[in-house]
Amino acid sequence: MFKFEELCELVRLVGSSEVAMVEIEHAGGRLRIDGKAPVSSIPAPVAMVAAAAPTPVAPAENAVATGMPVSPDAGSTTEGETDEDLHYVTSPIVGTFYRSPNPDAEPYAKVGQDVEGGTTLCIVEAMKLMNEIESDQSGTIVKVFPGNAQPVEFGERLFAIRVS
Amino acid sequence: MLSKVLIANRGEIAVRIIAGCREMGIGTVAIHSEADRDSLHVKLADESVCIGPAASADSYLNVTAVISAAEITGADAIHPGYGFLAENANFAQIATESGLIFIGPSADSIRMMGNKAAARAAAAEAGCPVLPGSEGALTSSDHALELAEGIGYPVILKASAGGGGRGMRLAWNRDELQHAYDTAWSEAEIAFGDPTLYLEKFVQNPRHIEFQILADSHGRVVHLGERECSIQRRHQKILEEAPSAAIDEELRAEMGRAAIAVVRAAKYVNAGTIEFLLAADGGFSFMEMNTRIQVEHPVTELVTGVDLIREQLLIAGGEPISIPKRRQVRPRGHAIEFRINAEDPERLTPSPGRITHLALPGGPGVRIDTHLYSGYMVPPYYDSLIAKLVVYGRDREEAIVRGRRALEMFRIEGIKTSIPLHLKILADPDFRSGDFSTSFMERYMSK
Repeated sequence: MFKFEELCELVRLVGSSEVAMVEIEHAGGRLRIDGKAPVSSIPAPVAMVAAAAPTPVAPAENAVATGMPVSPDAGSTTEGETDEDLHYVTSPIVGTFYRSPNPDAEPYAKVGQDVEGGTTLCIVEAMKLMNEIESDQSGTIVKVFPGNAQPVEFGERLFAIRVS
Repeated sequence: MLSKVLIANRGEIAVRIIAGCREMGIGTVAIHSEADRDSLHVKLADESVCIGPAASADSYLNVTAVISAAEITGADAIHPGYGFLAENANFAQIATESGLIFIGPSADSIRMMGNKAAARAAAAEAGCPVLPGSEGALTSSDHALELAEGIGYPVILKASAGGGGRGMRLAWNRDELQHAYDTAWSEAEIAFGDPTLYLEKFVQNPRHIEFQILADSHGRVVHLGERECSIQRRHQKILEEAPSAAIDEELRAEMGRAAIAVVRAAKYVNAGTIEFLLAADGGFSFMEMNTRIQVEHPVTELVTGVDLIREQLLIAGGEPISIPKRRQVRPRGHAIEFRINAEDPERLTPSPGRITHLALPGGPGVRIDTHLYSGYMVPPYYDSLIAKLVVYGRDREEAIVRGRRALEMFRIEGIKTSIPLHLKILADPDFRSGDFSTSFMERYMSK
């Protein structure tokens, strides 16, 4: 099951996040952490994040996945920006997300790049068919959600675009 | 042995398949539409993938999306359940060509049995009784009229690609047949994109009896006895039971042999069902074969003790059927399944909505297959089946008593269900006597 240190880490993570409860079934055991239950006399820190603000993703994660150098603030949006300013391009199909036409090529679209409606942003491969996904808005790309070669679901967010 | 199964379905059957996989230590992948994000099968599976919007055509019927979901999750097999893509030969073929194991028969078997005229011809050739009628497809209305003169009225026209009553027309005389041919032809064209018709002698007030079979890739074929499915309305089954009050051991053996002959002739592998019409005089004839697990499979599981989903998974993994070779499978006791639909019990119209309160019955001899939970929103996009209550008793009388009390203890609030309809059917003297036919519901509704 879990090591004591892992358990502590999990409890700490749940407590400091917006997540109300986590239930994990692993290696024949089941663990449930209720983040909202008063488990100690010390009140759990409440993350004061505006509900509308998009969750920032550590830039390092994208950099590792894509092998692309990413500027320090590339993965997150500017503070104070709300969802209303952003347009999300979602996956129209279930498949595998690719940022470039082949492993050696430059990505179709990078954070900070200006795109127009109709610009190819990425490929989602389903059953060996490469489906080019185009932007349906003009603006600046502020975030790429999946890592390269990562599976994506129908409706999953691929790009955030600040509409110009 | 399979390692990870993608379940290409939703609702109670997806939950049932997850249960089977879990007991065998097989991993599970749920697929779902946007409307089913909170569905129970998504919560219970090891992994889940959203494959499309609410409309079935863009999600559960989208072959590319389903196969793609299997590929990105690394599943090695697909269980199609029933409905949706379960009897789609092209889907089975594409799955196989994509390197996935299709948990069901081969694409060729599905194709052969999907063409009802061809299936009828194959059954006849295998030595299984079929009703007098056309050998294969009809070529014209004159062809139909000529045949009908020979076998005598009434006759029924059916669509080769058919099912669910569409493209079906009954004719009592020459004039009716002349007229029915054209309407059935265009109805079949619209419904199935294939206007091919065939003709059969019409049996008045038959019983609908089906035989469960299992066939493995080692050449073994067994039948697990019959299910009585005569209580139906507009070709939709309402409740099913096993065994049938109309079948004794001798007839069971005879029908079972006929069913096995058809399965062998079709080189069929995995679970399947042969449907028969049983006339009042005890004469039976082949109707069609269903090349999938059926909604009503639990009644067979209860009277035989065989877990059919488990057998499907074993067979698909190349293993033999797990029933000991010398054991003759005989039904023990009696089981009845009540299909509980989200529908108005009087008007039989769909009743989707949120389940505000749910309390399920339990106790001896009660099994419930369902995807419901308190707070669940029954979406309006799919089949109205929300639960199957299956009861078991030592005999039919005990099963009926148990069924009644379990239906009374079944609490669903927030939507209307067919529970009151089942209670009325159980109280009906014809049902209680066991003496009924497929015309039961018609007579019942007119009472």
